[in-house]
Amino acid sequence: MTDRDIAMRHRSEVAVSVELETPGMTLNIGPQHPSTHGVLRLIANVDGERIISVQPVIGYMHRGYEKLSEVRTYVQITTLVNRIDWVAGFASEVPYIVAVERLMGVEPPERAQWIRLILSELARIASHLVFMSSYPLELGAITPLFHALRDRERVLELIEGVTGGRFHPNFNRVGGVKPAAGAGKQQRGVSQDIPAGWFAQTQSTMERIFGMCDDLDTLVVGNELFKARTVGVGIIPADRAIEYGLSGPNLRASGVPYDLRKVEPHLPYPEVEFNVISAESGDCHDRYVVRLNEIREAAKIVLQAVDKIPSGPLVAKVPRLIKVPKGQTYVRGENPKGEFGYYIISEGGQKPYRMKIRSTSFSNLSILPWILEGQLIPDLVAVMGSLDFVLGDVDR
Amino acid sequence: MKMSKRNGAGLTANQPEPTVTREEWAEGVADRLGGEAVVEFDTARIYVDREKWLSTIRRARDEEGLNFFSWLTGIDWSKEVEVGEGVEDVDGLDERFEVMCRLSSVENSDAAHFVARLPKDDAVIDSLVPLFGGAEWHEREAHDMFGIDFRGNPNLVNLYLPDAFVGHPLLKSFPLLTREVKPWPGDVDVEGMPGDDEEPGAET
Repeated sequence: MTDRDIAMRHRSEVAVSVELETPGMTLNIGPQHPSTHGVLRLIANVDGERIISVQPVIGYMHRGYEKLSEVRTYVQITTLVNRIDWVAGFASEVPYIVAVERLMGVEPPERAQWIRLILSELARIASHLVFMSSYPLELGAITPLFHALRDRERVLELIEGVTGGRFHPNFNRVGGVKPAAGAGKQQRGVSQDIPAGWFAQTQSTMERIFGMCDDLDTLVVGNELFKARTVGVGIIPADRAIEYGLSGPNLRASGVPYDLRKVEPHLPYPEVEFNVISAESGDCHDRYVVRLNEIREAAKIVLQAVDKIPSGPLVAKVPRLIKVPKGQTYVRGENPKGEFGYYIISEGGQKPYRMKIRSTSFSNLSILPWILEGQLIPDLVAVMGSLDFVLGDVDR
Repeated sequence: MKMSKRNGAGLTANQPEPTVTREEWAEGVADRLGGEAVVEFDTARIYVDREKWLSTIRRARDEEGLNFFSWLTGIDWSKEVEVGEGVEDVDGLDERFEVMCRLSSVENSDAAHFVARLPKDDAVIDSLVPLFGGAEWHEREAHDMFGIDFRGNPNLVNLYLPDAFVGHPLLKSFPLLTREVKPWPGDVDVEGMPGDDEEPGAET
């Protein structure tokens, strides 16, 4: 029997497989999946390797912060809000506390504002470094994780050095920031709020961050394998991003250079120089590059702020009992992930009547069903990861 | 003059000098769209009729440059409050739901909160999904939390809450169950000392 004869015996099976259809099949991903950044479940309807539709199921981590904030006083709520986006806890505290200050008519001292600015930018670096490490990991590259997390730890040490907390600083007070333990009522000198040597440590850490960004540039951005997985994948056009309320790096990667630090600053951002990073095509690769360059800009801001920070008191004079006059206001800030805001309705008491939390990842994730339609299953993780969401921020 | 600014090339290096105040801007928008503007603490609210909800929002998007869908939520204005603080003027309160939708611009800081009042026994309003794909999740959340129905939302099922959940947690009449089971442990902090005349939990 020749080889041809042997092969021909399988002819009928080949014919079947050529005609084999791949009808709609449901693929359940999560809620426990290594690349879901928490507990997110996706119900994907697939045809072979092609995704027909995706239904995200969220709410596994819903903690009801909007209800909880109705039963807590304004002072107690700070503890809640830095747990919404725990990767950048400090950044979510700032818009809340600014909103309360605006309703009360309190102006925090300059030094407190600069400390808030420095810590917000450090939180941005720490948050983006999580993305820098986890996103290549999801695509199969493990080395960037070690580079990024090693230097992220140094940034967290800086945050811990001032606030005492790595993830949940709870450092903002109505009218300023928390004075160091032992500072008491006299806030005479600089040494009482920032530990000695902290600024020098910050400068050397920022230098390391620049070097690490260059490493990632050569290691990840120009990498052929990384480009093959990300360039042209998961393109979000600008009009679609705006319609879904995408903000932050996700929006800027789609070619909309909108940055609240320039448009609506409530910290002294006009006094420092930095560029708004944006890209054109809106694919996964652009979203990575935008965040990488934002780390560099944030480090530049920190270095300038360290030079410019004035001395002075840390807290403005506020009543011992925080009561907020009747009124409604919305304050938003440029969180590392985008627009983060609080709409506070006060009826004149110690607790808000209602507080709406505009969490960034919720809107950023809501585009997922649209963007995944028609993609391949291997691209699902690449697209999902590139949105840089935190499930605590989605579920609140 | 204002339109040319909005259609301009984009952002300048620093915050552009506002040519009109938030108040003037909001009143102009309300006049053109047919609504009532309230501005306080640099935050503009524009009250619109719920029958004109969809058409007003569409015009705000197309004619006023407010094309960024930021968020949508509900507010329960209620005289009876199970937990938390009630309103200042209980007798004068008109009990209602409000649906609030924030739209903003992606070129400058223009932004407005559009508000529609809904009676409590007829909490139905048009869905914004035909205008903004992002509205679907926000409306589902408001449906979960307040029981407001959005006519035309293609997928108005529970977003956060389990399927079998009964009730709408953000209603003022809904108790906070964890506090029903166990009192807020923070009360210990302000408990009066022995011999103190103050009642436990009194404000200091």
